[in-house]
Formats: sequence, C-alpha cells, structure tokens
Amino acid sequence: MTAPRDQAAELAARLPDLVVAARRLAYSLMHGVHGRRRAGPGETFWQFRPFASGEPANRIDWRRSARGTQAFVREREWEGAQTVWLWFDRSPGMDFRSELSPQSKRDRAAVLTLALADLAVRGGERVGLIGLTRPLAARDVIDRFAQALAAPGAAPEALPPLIALGARAKVVLIGDFLVPPSEIEARMTSLAGEGVEGHVLMIGDPIEETFPFQGAVDFLDVGGSPQWRAPRAENLKAPYQARLAAQRAAVKDTARLCGWDFALHRTDASAASALLALHARLEQAAA
Amino acid sequence: MLGLPLVFAAPAVLAALGGLAALYWVLRVTPPRPRRQIFPPFRLLLGLDPKETTAHRTPWPILLLRLAVAALVILAMAGPIWRALAGGGAKGPLLIVLDDGWAAAPGWERRIALARAQAEAAAKAERPVALAPLSSGAQEIVLADGEAVQARLAALTPAPYAPPRDPARAAVAAFLSAYADAQISWIADGLDFGGGDAFAALLQGASTEVAADPATPLALAGAESLPAALEATVVRASGPEHGVVRALDARGRSIGEAAFDFAGTNQARARFELPVEVRNDIARLVIDDERSAGAVWLLDARARRRRVAVIGGGASELAEPLLASTYYVTKALSPFADVREARPGTPDPVADLLSEQPSALLLADANIAPADHDRIAAFVQAGGVLIRFAGARTASAADDLLPVELRHGDRTLGGALSWDSPKHIAAFEPPSPFMGVKIPDEVTVTRQVLAEPNPGLPEKTWARLADGTPLVTAAPRGKGIVVLFHVTADTTWSNLPLSGLFVEMLRRIIAQAGAPAVAAPSGPVANAALSPWRTLDGFGALGDPPATARPIAADFVGPADAEHPPGFYGAPESASAINALGEGAKLTPAAYEGLRHRAGGLTVAPPLDLKPWLLLAAFVGFLIDTLASLANGARRWRFARAAPLALLLLIPPAPPVRAAELTDLQAATATRLAYVVTGDAETDETARLGLAQLTRTLNQRTSAALADPVGVDPARDELAFYPWLYWPIAANQPQPPAAAVARIAAFMHNGGTIVFDTRDALSPEGTVTPQAQWLRKLLAGVDVPELEPTPRDHVVTKTFYLLDKFVGRTENGKTWIEALPPVDPNDRTHPPARAGDSVSPIVVASNDLAGAWAARDDGTPLYPLVPGGPRQREMALRAGVNLVMYALTGNYKADQVHARDLLERLAR
Repeated sequence: MTAPRDQAAELAARLPDLVVAARRLAYSLMHGVHGRRRAGPGETFWQFRPFASGEPANRIDWRRSARGTQAFVREREWEGAQTVWLWFDRSPGMDFRSELSPQSKRDRAAVLTLALADLAVRGGERVGLIGLTRPLAARDVIDRFAQALAAPGAAPEALPPLIALGARAKVVLIGDFLVPPSEIEARMTSLAGEGVEGHVLMIGDPIEETFPFQGAVDFLDVGGSPQWRAPRAENLKAPYQARLAAQRAAVKDTARLCGWDFALHRTDASAASALLALHARLEQAAA
Repeated sequence: MLGLPLVFAAPAVLAALGGLAALYWVLRVTPPRPRRQIFPPFRLLLGLDPKETTAHRTPWPILLLRLAVAALVILAMAGPIWRALAGGGAKGPLLIVLDDGWAAAPGWERRIALARAQAEAAAKAERPVALAPLSSGAQEIVLADGEAVQARLAALTPAPYAPPRDPARAAVAAFLSAYADAQISWIADGLDFGGGDAFAALLQGASTEVAADPATPLALAGAESLPAALEATVVRASGPEHGVVRALDARGRSIGEAAFDFAGTNQARARFELPVEVRNDIARLVIDDERSAGAVWLLDARARRRRVAVIGGGASELAEPLLASTYYVTKALSPFADVREARPGTPDPVADLLSEQPSALLLADANIAPADHDRIAAFVQAGGVLIRFAGARTASAADDLLPVELRHGDRTLGGALSWDSPKHIAAFEPPSPFMGVKIPDEVTVTRQVLAEPNPGLPEKTWARLADGTPLVTAAPRGKGIVVLFHVTADTTWSNLPLSGLFVEMLRRIIAQAGAPAVAAPSGPVANAALSPWRTLDGFGALGDPPATARPIAADFVGPADAEHPPGFYGAPESASAINALGEGAKLTPAAYEGLRHRAGGLTVAPPLDLKPWLLLAAFVGFLIDTLASLANGARRWRFARAAPLALLLLIPPAPPVRAAELTDLQAATATRLAYVVTGDAETDETARLGLAQLTRTLNQRTSAALADPVGVDPARDELAFYPWLYWPIAANQPQPPAAAVARIAAFMHNGGTIVFDTRDALSPEGTVTPQAQWLRKLLAGVDVPELEPTPRDHVVTKTFYLLDKFVGRTENGKTWIEALPPVDPNDRTHPPARAGDSVSPIVVASNDLAGAWAARDDGTPLYPLVPGGPRQREMALRAGVNLVMYALTGNYKADQVHARDLLERLAR
C-alpha cells in the first residue's frame, strides 16, 4: 500500500481528469438549478424599483432618477451570507475500486465535491474545503480546490478535522464512514454543536454491499498488513451484511441526531443523480 | 511400450509425468490459493465466526480432471505414435524369419510390408537386422543395415514350392548361437510341411514373435480325370469353407468353373462336368482368389488326354484306309483320346508307339510278334491298358495276352450256314464298367470268337450277348488290364463299330486307363532328363523358368522343390507337369505353441499420430474444468480468457477435404471430366493433375470445351453430370459400399463411360494382380458387357487421332473395351472403323494413363515413363483425347466413313 504522501500525489495526478469530470457534471446540472433571484443584501445589481415614500432617502439612486421624473431605488441581489463547507474522505480506505465499479470511492467523492462546489459558487455561495481552503466564491473554484487538494500535506483522516466553521454554515461530508460509530458520533456532534447544518453522503463500493465471495478468501485491510482468512467466504455473507447495515444505521442515526440528513451512494450508480440529490437538499435547506 | 504398439517421438518428455505426483500433492494437500481481496470494511469482518474452519479443498473429480489434463498434455508433447512398430526396447539384433514358400504368396504384400516396417523400426532404433527367408535354406544369416534389408525385401518373391525347414533351422540356430540376444520376428505362413515343430522349438527360447494369418491358403492337391468329369482335390488347413476352382486353357482363358465345399473337413473336391473335348483343353486349374503356386494345378498331357496307340492288322490297310481295320476305332477314339498310329514304314511300330507312353494300346486283330510280346506284357504290367479286337488272325493263333482262353476258331451267327439269327447285346451287369449305357436295338453280332468256359469267366465278362456268350472280356494283369472285344474292330463281324455304343464303350475303357505308364523302363527315353519349359512363380503365374531350375528325370513325380519348381518340363507338345503339392498331399496347420503371437497378425496399419487427439482431449477436459469452475461460482476468468488462445493452439488438423466441391448446378452447367477419389492421396493427386492436363489438351486441340476436372465419390456424389469417369484402381483401399456400386452400375447403364485403370501393366502376364482382383470384386455385382482387347479397327482408335494402342506410363498393357459384334463374313466393304450400337460403358486400361498425363502447373511432367520419351507422353495424351472424344462423340467417326456414299445418294 502506498504511503499517504504518495496517495496525495496520485490524487493530484488524477485531479485534471477529476476536474474535467466535475465540471462536466456541474454543467449537466446547470439548467436544473438556479440562483437566489431575489433582492437582498449583496453587492451585485439586481433591479431598479420606484422609490416608495417613507424609505430612507439615501437609498435613492440618483444617477438613475436623474434621467426621469421619478425617483428610483437601486436594489442589489440578496446574497446569503452562508458558507458551504465541503469535506470528503481522502483516507486510504477510500482509494478502493472493485471490478464491479467504474470508479474508486475517492475519485467519486472528489468529483462530487468539486462539482458541488462549482454549483454552489454559481448559486452565489461561498464554498470552502474543510482544513484546506477558506471559503471562496470564485468562479474558478474547481481549479482552486484542485490546487489545494494537490498540495502536499499531512495524512488525511477518515473523519473531518475539528475546526471552527462558524454558525449558520452548511457542511457536506462525503465518505465511507466505516470507522467505529462512536468516533463518527463524537466528531459529528461536536460539529453540530456549533450550529452547523450538515449533509452526510455515505459512499460505498458495490462489492462491499453484495459480498460476492466464495471459497477461501484472504481479506486484507487497506493498509495491506492485517490479513484475515475466511475459509468459506460464502458463509460470512449474512453476518457481514448485518454488520454493514448496523454501521449504516449508526451513521444515519448520528446524522439524524444532529439534525443532518443522510444519503447513501454506490460508486456503480450515476454520479449525476447523487449530485442532483445533494444539491437539491442543499438548496432546500437554504430556502 | 507396455506391449502396446505405441512409441513416442520424444520419450524424454514423459519424465514430466513424474511431476504429476507433485502436482497431485500440491493440488491435494494445499487448498487452492485463497483469493486475496482488499476489503475496506475489513473492520466489520473481524470477529465474524467463519463457522467452518476446514480448508476449502479441490473436489476430487476436479482434481482428477486436472491431473488427467496435465497427463494428456505431457503425453501429447511426447509425440505418441500409435501402431508404430516398436523397436521393442531390445538392444540385440533383429532377425526376420520370413516364410516365403507358395503358402506365403496370397498375403505376400502384407508380409513384405510388415517385414519392411519391422526392419525400419529396428533401423531407427539402430539395431542391426538380419533377414532369413526360408528359401535361402542353409545360407549363413548375416547382419545388415536397414537399407540393405529394405532392398533385399523389395526384391524378394515367394518361392513356388514349399521350402524345407531343416536347412533354415540350422542357419537360424547358428545365428542364435552367435547372437544370443537376438530378437526374432517370424512372419509365418501357418502351414507345416515337415520340420515345423522342430523349427518352432528352436525359436522357443528366444524372444520370438510370430506373425501369421489366422486363415491359411487353400491348395490343389491333385486332379483326377473321371469318365464323366474332372475332379480337382482342394485341401486346406484352415480357411474358407467354400470356393470356386476355375479351369483355364493353355492361353489362360477360363473354360469352366466348379464350386467346392469343405463341409467341415479339410479336403474337398471340385467337379468339372464338361464334355471331354473341352476337358482336354484344360491346361491348369486355379482356385479363385488364391494367388499362389499351390492353388494352381498344372495338367499335362498325361492327365488330360489319354493317348491311345492303335496298331492295325495288315499292310494292305495303308493302301485302303477306308477299309482298314482301325478306321472305326480311330474315329470313335478321336473325340476324347489322342490316337497314335505307327508311321508308315516304321520298322518296329510297337516299340515306337510304346515309347510315346500311351495310356492304352489297341490291337485290331493283330498278331503279336514274339519280339513285341515282352514289351507289350511289360506295358500292361506297368499299368497300361491293352485293348484287343478279335478277328481271323486272333481266332487262329491265340497268344497269352488275352483275358480269357479262347476256343479255336470262331462262331458264326445268322450266317448262310447257321440256324441262329444275329444276336443282340444283353444288358450290362456288374462289375461291367459299361453299366448304365443304353444299348441300341439295332446292334447285332454275326460272328465272334468264343471263350473257354473256364471258372471265373463271368467275372471277367464286361459285356455279353443275349445268349450269354461273352462279347467283351477283361482281366487285370499286373497294374494294367487286358480287354478283348470278341468281335472285329470293323464291321465284318458285327455292326457294333457303327453305333454310338461303341464310342461309349471305348470311352469307358479308356477312362479305366490311369496315368500312362511313365515308369515303363524301356529304351533310352526313360532316362532322358526333361528340361524346364515353363514354370510357375510363387504367385501361380506361368513364366520362363528361373536360372536355378534344373531338368527333371523322366520319373520325377514328387512335389516341386527349389531346383525343380512347379511347371511344365520337357518338349512343349508332350510336357510333363510338376506341381507345388504332391498328388494327394494334405496341409497340416503349423503349431506355434509357446511362441508369442503378434497382435493383429500380418496387418501393418499406418501409424497414427495421437498428438492432436490427445491435445483435443486435454482441451475438452480443460473446457469441462472451466465450465465446472464457472458453474461452481468461482470466477476463473483467467482460465476463461486463456481458453480461446488454447483453442487456437489446439485445433486438430482438419481432415483432407475433396479437391473441389461442386454444387449440382455447377456440375450440370459445364461438361467436365471426373475422376473417382480412391482415398489414396497420391493416386488421387495424380488423377487430378492428369485430368487437368488432359482437359487443357482437349481445350487446345479439340472443339470440346471442358471445365476443370473434379473428383467424385460414387457413394456420395451424383454421377449423372459427368460423361467420362476415370477410376484409378488403388488396391489398398477398401471396396466402395454397395450403394456406390449400384450407382456405378446405373451410371454405366445410363450411357456413362468409366475408364478403369489398373496400372499393373508391368506385372508379369498371366498374374492376377491385386488391382485386377480389386476390380473384379468391384464389378462382381455389375452388369459388365463382354470385353475384348481393343481391336485395331475399333472406332475408339479413330475418334480424334489414329492410334493403334493406348499407352500411358507403360505401353505394353492391354486396353479392354466392350466387344464389338463380330464382322459379318459376307461384308466385303472392310470399313476402316467399326463400332457397336453404343459407346462402351467400360474401358479397362492398365497403362496408368493419368500418371503419363499428370504434369505440374508449369507443364513439367510428374512421372517418368517406361520406356520413356516425349513421343510416348504425346501418345498418352492422344490416347486420352481419343477416349474422351469417344465418350463424347460416340460412333460418329464410324458413321463418317459412309459420308461419301450418303452424299452421292443425295445428289442422285
């Protein structure tokens, strides 16, 4: 198994592809989403409207009003002060792809993350990668995120780092969440304690769910070193699936406890549908 | 290898079979290598109870299958060849003892093929080979290399006699004492002509293998000329129950045939009931389908035609032949006997005639001179028949060469001075040989001599008159018989010589005469040696005597031996026959107890390369394994991916397909020549190339426009599309099935022409070659018209070129064609070409026509010709052109000769 540093390099090498995939994915959803489209606190021009009496006079846009007899007020588009924090699991456990799946879990998570960032920026929100970037609202957010991901750094953890995200922020966590439920619960509740609204997307490889093994199988952990031999793998299918269901239920319960929502995604399913669902939920929460 | 006829081209590879045990151990003891699977939810698995801790082992059928596949692949790589003649693993020299008497002739080709194969196998194993044909006798057996043995085997022919075993036994014993480790292959004929037991006992100790046919040949052991028939004695040791003996005349034409049936015994008789005149033409008897000298019985003058010396009475007979006393006798004898009369002016007629060794001596009322008396008495003692007629002289002066004592004088019945009327002949009674002959009423006797009524007279009487007086008396004397007619040989005393009864009586008497008294020792003739004139070879074909043949003494009777091969000896007109078997010989089967028999007898099947089949079997096993694994759910995609590759590697060699597959439409829309695919690759290729060249020639030179020739299989293909079929006979191929024969018959019946080519013109004339036998068997069920060698005025010699014969690779063979109707003797036009009503459905050539035509694409000929030369090749092509044009145009050229007359008639 490769060292984390090498993994980061490998991810960086794959990033251009992932960037393209994310961009394509984001564009494919562009027509399906639209921005806030209403006046509010912001910097960009939204519309002129006739001055209503009783309003503060400093709201009158004199440049426009001078062209006619009526006074106009310049309204700016409402800009939510929300920040969307994104995080995906870059731990070695995510770098796994079975022959049943077209993409590894990490690549899928990266694509979803980048595409979601792009969509969010287009939606007028600021997006940041937890632990890597500050919230950005740049159009080239995908590229900037990619740069941040490509930069060498410490070995990524299987759970989001605990940093202050600020209240009213939204957080999207994408990962396989296979660590013990207690750790997940501790991390999520501490995030939720800050008042963060969250979305959890649990990614899984199809082979992890179907467990199609027969005969003698040596199961290796992602690190490669611990090994566990199953003489008759087919006998393990039912107990394993029960445990997997329990793990998922634990994660889901934790999310619900925090008031977050939870979704499952398998890497053999379409990335677009997952993105659409995630984005829709994000919008819904913002509305 | 393990007694199986199996050898390996690369036996070293077999060492890998030892690896199978290791493979088994690995497959069995260690479970299949577990699949290594990286599994992120590894944590979830930890602590799960696997429930079953026994290792997942390969199921035993799969294990067995895989071991079998591995073994098959190893075996295949070792290059196994089935039925290759093994060197046997022995290191010593190989001694091939070859029985080469006449009994080996029927299967000679197989024997030689077996010996050649064994010699070749031994040569491959670098073992010296020695060849000991039985006929070499006591010659020292020397070791030779493979090539020399092959050359010697190619030159060997069976001996026409049964070589004695004792000299050969000594030679083999000497050889065995010199080379104790020798391995012996005895290619035996299965018959014991004496000394066989001792011979077998000698080979007992050594590592001997006997190759013999279960069936031994039939042989002829005598032919007996009976009054009504010629009976041939057929003997066997084992072999078929029934058969046919064919009688051939001096020119080899079949005169008659007779069936025989052993009915469980080992001796049978074939009876030729033929008119005596025809019987006398029989020169030899041959057992059908038995190609050996033993199956031929030569009949010489002694056996087939009784020679009767006739001596008349007076000197005046020469001047008046019609009044001669011997006139009626010679007329009556001539249909069935060879009548010899003394030449006029011979000083000593009796001695002269007796020196010709007649079967019977007939004295027509002649007195016996004292000088002749002893000679005649000796002749009768030695087995001759003396037939005497009474007469005036006999009646007056009797001698002792008479069966009965005669009364002096004669008796007249119905004469002017007699009261009695002429007497009729009484019915014959036993022991008369005339029993059963019908007596005509008009036969009467007017004068006779009378016998003294001594005791024993009735027993001596063969025929008597109605009043009981003897008419014909006979008495044995020594080995011979003396017969007396109590009347004259002419019509003066009775009208008996005018009747058919007389002929029949003489015939029966002559039939009593055995073989002529050759042993009669008189004069210098008896000791003269008879030099060989024509002798049989081992296959039973008559030919010029070999250089080793030596003259026989006149009294040589016994069976033939090396110096006296069977055949005719002496002057051609009075040749003595010596046969391979002695008269009345029996065939005893040889006992090979204690010797190892070669499996399969004499058959040498062509070696079969097992490699592709083993690989195919391994591949099938591999597929089964893959499928089983897939069905088992274990995903062995690596194997599955390898499968197509393995498939490519393991595709067995495709069987040869026909050179051209034509649809019926294609075949019907173009005229083309066709040849019958025999199954013999070389023959078929020659036929294909030959017909291709002939087609080119026809297209160039004639107006016939022919498409490419095609090979047909009469069992499968419709023949109706082809006007002309060329059939080279390959005798080593099996006969086509009955359905194919029926198609051939229909083809011929419907106007097709088949040219059979036996390609055997180089074998000696008179032999029945294997090809001829094959063709005979093929055509046994087909309605074949009468054939004749192509006459020079046959229309087939004029259809395009003017030819006088049909040459091929050889030029001496005859070409047989349907016989034309005989020429009308009244027709004085002498047309230059004659033709029958239709095209001959069959032409039998023997000159290997296609071999002469066959040429490569660049026109260079494929085979040399005998005697050779471009002219012969051209003539061969012309022969082919004529044969094809004959089939295509029929009698056109024969009608063409009348064209001028027809035009004149039209103009008129």
